[in-house]
Amino acid sequence: MSSCSPTRLPPQLRQPSTTSAMMLDVLIALLPTLGMAVFFFGLRALAVTAVSVAACILSESLYRRLTHQSDTTRDLSACVTGLLLGLSLPASSPYWVPILAGAFAIIVVKQFYGGLGKNFMNPALAGRMLAATLPTLMTNWPAPFQRLSLVGVDVVSAATPLSYLQDGTLPPQSLSQLFLGQRGGCLGEVSSFMLLAGFVYLLARRVVPLRISAAYLGTAALVALLFHPQGSNPLIWVAYQLLGGGLLLGALFFANDPTTTPVTPRGQVAFGVGCGLLTMLLRYHSSYPEGVGWAILTMNCLVWLLDRLGLPRRFGVGNFATTRAFLGQVRASLAQIQFVKPDLRRHFDWIKSGKMPGEDHLDQIRAQARALIPFALTLLVTGAMIFSVHQLTDLDTARARTQQQQQLLSQVMPAASIASETPYRASGALSITAGYTHAGELVGYCVEVQSHGFGGVITMVVGVDLNGEVTGVAVTNHSETSTVGTRAMTPEALRRYVGLSGTIRTSGRNSVDAVSGATATSEAITAGVNRALAIIANLDPEEDISYVEE
Amino acid sequence: MAHTFFGGVFPATRKESTRRKPLAQLSQPPREVAIPLLMCSDGPSVPVVRPGDPVSLGQVIARRGDCGVAIHASVSGRVTAIQDRPHPWGGSSPAILIENDGQNTPCPQRPQPVEAQNVELPLLLERVQAAGIVGMRGEAAPTWEKLARAAGRVDTLIVNVAECEPYVTADYRLLLERSEKILLGASVVARCLGAQRAVIVTEGDKLRAVESLERRLLRRGHSVQLCTVRTRYPLGAEKQIIQTVTGREVPPGGSALDASCVVLNVATLYAVQDALFRGRPLTHRAVTVTGGAVTRPRNLWVPIGTPLRILLESAGGLREEADLMLTGGPMMGVALEELDAPVIKDTNSLICLTAGERKPGGSGTTCIRCGKCVSCCPMHLAPVFVRQALEAGDRERLAKYRVEDCISCGCCSFICPAQLPLVETMIWARAALEEGGDRL
Repeated sequence: MSSCSPTRLPPQLRQPSTTSAMMLDVLIALLPTLGMAVFFFGLRALAVTAVSVAACILSESLYRRLTHQSDTTRDLSACVTGLLLGLSLPASSPYWVPILAGAFAIIVVKQFYGGLGKNFMNPALAGRMLAATLPTLMTNWPAPFQRLSLVGVDVVSAATPLSYLQDGTLPPQSLSQLFLGQRGGCLGEVSSFMLLAGFVYLLARRVVPLRISAAYLGTAALVALLFHPQGSNPLIWVAYQLLGGGLLLGALFFANDPTTTPVTPRGQVAFGVGCGLLTMLLRYHSSYPEGVGWAILTMNCLVWLLDRLGLPRRFGVGNFATTRAFLGQVRASLAQIQFVKPDLRRHFDWIKSGKMPGEDHLDQIRAQARALIPFALTLLVTGAMIFSVHQLTDLDTARARTQQQQQLLSQVMPAASIASETPYRASGALSITAGYTHAGELVGYCVEVQSHGFGGVITMVVGVDLNGEVTGVAVTNHSETSTVGTRAMTPEALRRYVGLSGTIRTSGRNSVDAVSGATATSEAITAGVNRALAIIANLDPEEDISYVEE
Repeated sequence: MAHTFFGGVFPATRKESTRRKPLAQLSQPPREVAIPLLMCSDGPSVPVVRPGDPVSLGQVIARRGDCGVAIHASVSGRVTAIQDRPHPWGGSSPAILIENDGQNTPCPQRPQPVEAQNVELPLLLERVQAAGIVGMRGEAAPTWEKLARAAGRVDTLIVNVAECEPYVTADYRLLLERSEKILLGASVVARCLGAQRAVIVTEGDKLRAVESLERRLLRRGHSVQLCTVRTRYPLGAEKQIIQTVTGREVPPGGSALDASCVVLNVATLYAVQDALFRGRPLTHRAVTVTGGAVTRPRNLWVPIGTPLRILLESAGGLREEADLMLTGGPMMGVALEELDAPVIKDTNSLICLTAGERKPGGSGTTCIRCGKCVSCCPMHLAPVFVRQALEAGDRERLAKYRVEDCISCGCCSFICPAQLPLVETMIWARAALEEGGDRL
């Protein structure tokens, strides 16, 4: 009887699960996915994962030892981080990548903030996204069944389904292939089936709640359903969106990291919904095809807020009363914000005072003006910067210019669809542009020439095909009188040049009659066309590029 | 069932070892019983016998003073002393020691049994008060006060047979073996209180009792309803059982009356009908003696005041070393330091756990913010935040987390994978808030 332990507060029973048991469950749940990765990508998948796990455990152990803290590798959380990190890398990544990412994940993201339970960002995901910022690493996806050797990787990169989805088309893989994982991608994300199996195991073991993943996947599916491209089956599109990328790996495992997700049930649902919205936003409107990683990391930073908002309502106080109390609280807080009117009177003092502005007042104005100088300078510099940036990167202008060129091309050379600048120069030609068909076949050249008309210089583009025949003429700039001179520039008038070659006269054989009333302009255009024909006739593209000095 | 309560946990019930054991008498009656004067949560009663007085079974030996309830002799014999004895709630309290003569001579001045149709509220209250009935599970408040407050203000009488604590089967056996009387008692009490309906709430692991009740209900057409709910801890807690049956939530700081309900434990109700229809005061109760360390786990019908040691001997003693002994169930029960304490009116079990059954406490590891304590708290609290605020010493934040709502059901401590003592945390937090001061 004396063997009884001293009185302890209830409960005297505990559920058998501990933190390390939970972590072990996560490891077990990820094993099938790892197996599938090895099946698809060969032993290198295992090697990358092993390096990643080892890097994480070593980092944790070393850091804790160096900072004289207790060794925490036994709780297996570093192991889970390592495994998740490894599974989120491509099989072709060099071995230094998991080492770098693992050390970053454990030391910077986890231990700097105080270790397990204190970090605000998912360590594995942060490490992975650090690796993703390295050039070309995360754009090279080995194709499945392309077993990689352990050393020296020569990757044939396969397009991931997501890159197709970003273009608004369905990937070539069938849904069942996606489901089993026969596609390019990082180690863990390819096999949806195995991920789901692992997640079901975690649910059955009550390691993770269903709320986050369900809210995440549900939101993503809903967004995909609402914004599917025209002409595609919405349900098929949704299925591809769900299975195509890292969404399952993210939603089922990364978004379920207990430390970096809200603890309150409502907060968890809001977290999932936010992740889903951000993911689809990034998938649709960012330059990356995938957005899961950034979405989860972003939501990780909002956990403190969701925790606060998601606090369960008080027992015995209905939802309605709770909402009313909350709104009342918000109103009270808002009432504390007082609008202070800006005091503008100071500037108009001299008007009201009724006195003539004296010397001291001028001084005051000068002082005020002087105070404004830095402001004005800042304004000026900012404006200049914005203007230069606008000039340098003005997409609208560039797009308009391209469109204009395209229009010009279709006018002077209907058979061509692509214009490409050439290095050819010729005296009298402002520029020579080659026209190609879609198949890349050379159609002819467009020559920009000038000639003197009635009112001044007429700039025009003349298309000449490889037979030396005119395919079209377009006037781009002129200063002729708008009533008379432009009669010679109507599309009908210009179309008369099409098909002619050699030297065009104003009368007789091979001639184009001058438009009555616009003789000077017509002759000027004919002269320009003749010059263009001459330039093309003397142009010999077979030769070395002939740079004719002007 | 349309209604349910939020959260809860699913501990292994482990009731198999005593589920089929009928309520049995002690293998040998106790030579001496020690009946503590502290029987209800109010405070101690006033003894009316002196050492040397002969007493008979059911004779009043203590009465209600400013507080407390009437206490009756549970055996016949002679009062030997009134002295301090260990109390099962911890510490010690004065107890009336009665030497058992083994005759069980009934007390001559027993109140006359009444017919069910003649029972009215004043009679009910008088009999319940005279029989010294208290809540026989958990709070141990005087039942007559509860009934007097509830009269005319409730529409539902809930008979709590949701024995959600693991191991304990005393209530289940009582319901199974005395279902007829319990049904009768429920309908009479509900009529007296003016409640439109009486609901007996059982759990899915008590299907045999449910079957027998249903058969009786079919045959007799009682006005009592039966409600069987999936086993989940803490269904038996008052607020949770009210929410499950009616969907109403007891407002913060309120009692069951605010939800127009009165909740009686099945053992309490049995004692009430015993007092009414057989004129017997509360002198015996059902106790489950179980646990992995007990040789022959069983359900016993024991006189109040019997030392727990006798119960254990009656169950064959320990077959292996007990790591922990407790009364009241492993989730909310009180750990015992020794077995000298007697059975009192709210003792429903004696559980001797082996080291293997019990999870070691320890100081716990790091919180990983898994949120399980939030999603299992039936009172919609967030122990994880309370703990953070307490550690940070932030009073203002602590006050926001409604610590005073905690019912100490222990779900959070049970579920915590980091093995943190969250119930203790809540208690400390409440104490810190009540204490006041700038720093915690």
